[in-house]
Amino acid sequence: MTAAASSDADLISAHAAGDPYAFSELVKRHRDRMWAVALRTLRDPEEAADALQEAFISAFRAASSFRAESQVTTWLHRIVVNACLDRMRRRQTRPTVPLPEAGPGEPVAPRDAMSERETRLIIQDALAELPEEQRAPIVLVDVEGYSVAETAKLLGIAEGTVKSRCARGRAKLAKVLGHLRNRSADANVPADGVNVQQQRQWEDR
Amino acid sequence: MTGTERTPLDPPWSLDLLADLHAGVLDPEADARLRPRVMADPEARSVLAALDATMADLRSLPPIPMPRAVADRIDAALAQEARPAAPVVSLDEARKRRNRRLGMGGGVLAAAAAAIGIALVVVPGGDQADQPPGAQPTQASNTPVGSAQPPMAVKETELGAAVPEVLKAQNYGPLDSQDRLVGCLKGGGITSTAKPLGISPVSLDGRPAVMAILPGGAVAGQFRIVVLDPETCGPDNPQGVIADTTIKPTR
Repeated sequence: MTAAASSDADLISAHAAGDPYAFSELVKRHRDRMWAVALRTLRDPEEAADALQEAFISAFRAASSFRAESQVTTWLHRIVVNACLDRMRRRQTRPTVPLPEAGPGEPVAPRDAMSERETRLIIQDALAELPEEQRAPIVLVDVEGYSVAETAKLLGIAEGTVKSRCARGRAKLAKVLGHLRNRSADANVPADGVNVQQQRQWEDR
Repeated sequence: MTGTERTPLDPPWSLDLLADLHAGVLDPEADARLRPRVMADPEARSVLAALDATMADLRSLPPIPMPRAVADRIDAALAQEARPAAPVVSLDEARKRRNRRLGMGGGVLAAAAAAIGIALVVVPGGDQADQPPGAQPTQASNTPVGSAQPPMAVKETELGAAVPEVLKAQNYGPLDSQDRLVGCLKGGGITSTAKPLGISPVSLDGRPAVMAILPGGAVAGQFRIVVLDPETCGPDNPQGVIADTTIKPTR
């Protein structure tokens, strides 16, 4: 068994040296976070699974020639993010499907967790309404906690662009999520129709 | 657009400008000139607070662990990659298969299971293994529900051939529900309560049956095929499990 204590760089070296388990171990370490990124970006579990498989296979094939060992994680995440972005671009016109609130086998939320669950759904719905160029940086920076610098590397755009796309996305979300409800209309804040509609959907559940 | 000369210094400020300030988009000089003025304006401060609250909402979203079926599929694909002599999986072919699938859990695994090169170990589930397959009476009343087509014909000696099709389905047929499936599995001493990766009514050597594919336990890429007699299976009947088979990667 590949040593659990190995660094990511050790695993890449072991993989390059022919260890058949090293790459799987590397994937195991990062797959949950990458799954979350893929699912939240693509919003379609089948597409997310396809994107991850494609990305991991292409990383597997490229890994033996990978040299910048200090950046294994960024490199792997970048391949995944690119696979997701490629898919987003390809399907531009296709409607998205609702994000499942619980994975298979996940326990049903107890009654007292209901309102938390509903809030979560509203946040997920709001995220889904963002243009994709804003959703990807928001998912990476605000949901998954990557730094602006990391996100810029992952998305292949300037840090300033990451910041300004996040700014635009947060402004939209602040409206949709109702945090700006009482602000006067002179500052680009439309009537809170979206919020009212969401609120109604929420109450109707 | 972030230059000092184009940044209005007096309220009201646009939401976009305040969001830029909040996100650190403005150049340092514009930021230094605007920020104290914004902080002195209660309404503008409330916008910054709203943006903070929005970020807090986003941070509160829980992690989403990768579902087992997806992890299994990726493990299987990587195991396939790790076998130098193995034929390469055609992604196009896998995609075509997936486009035909019905449910995610099954479809996700169909290509992987088909591609991985499977070795079958058939463990007879009960006494009926001693009987010739034709000895079972055909029960016409057992026609699976929810499907206008006759169930897939499967030979007990070639269960593996049906796996790709079954993985695409989530059709409990005469078993109706996952609860009933769990009960039938329990009868056969199988304690899996997970949702099957795929399930479909089949005709096992001419006999109505239900084939379920379950996650295979701790070994990556391993699955378990169980064939049930929907007429008799239940928590108290070990004979309801007609076949119980493990699929594992040939390594």
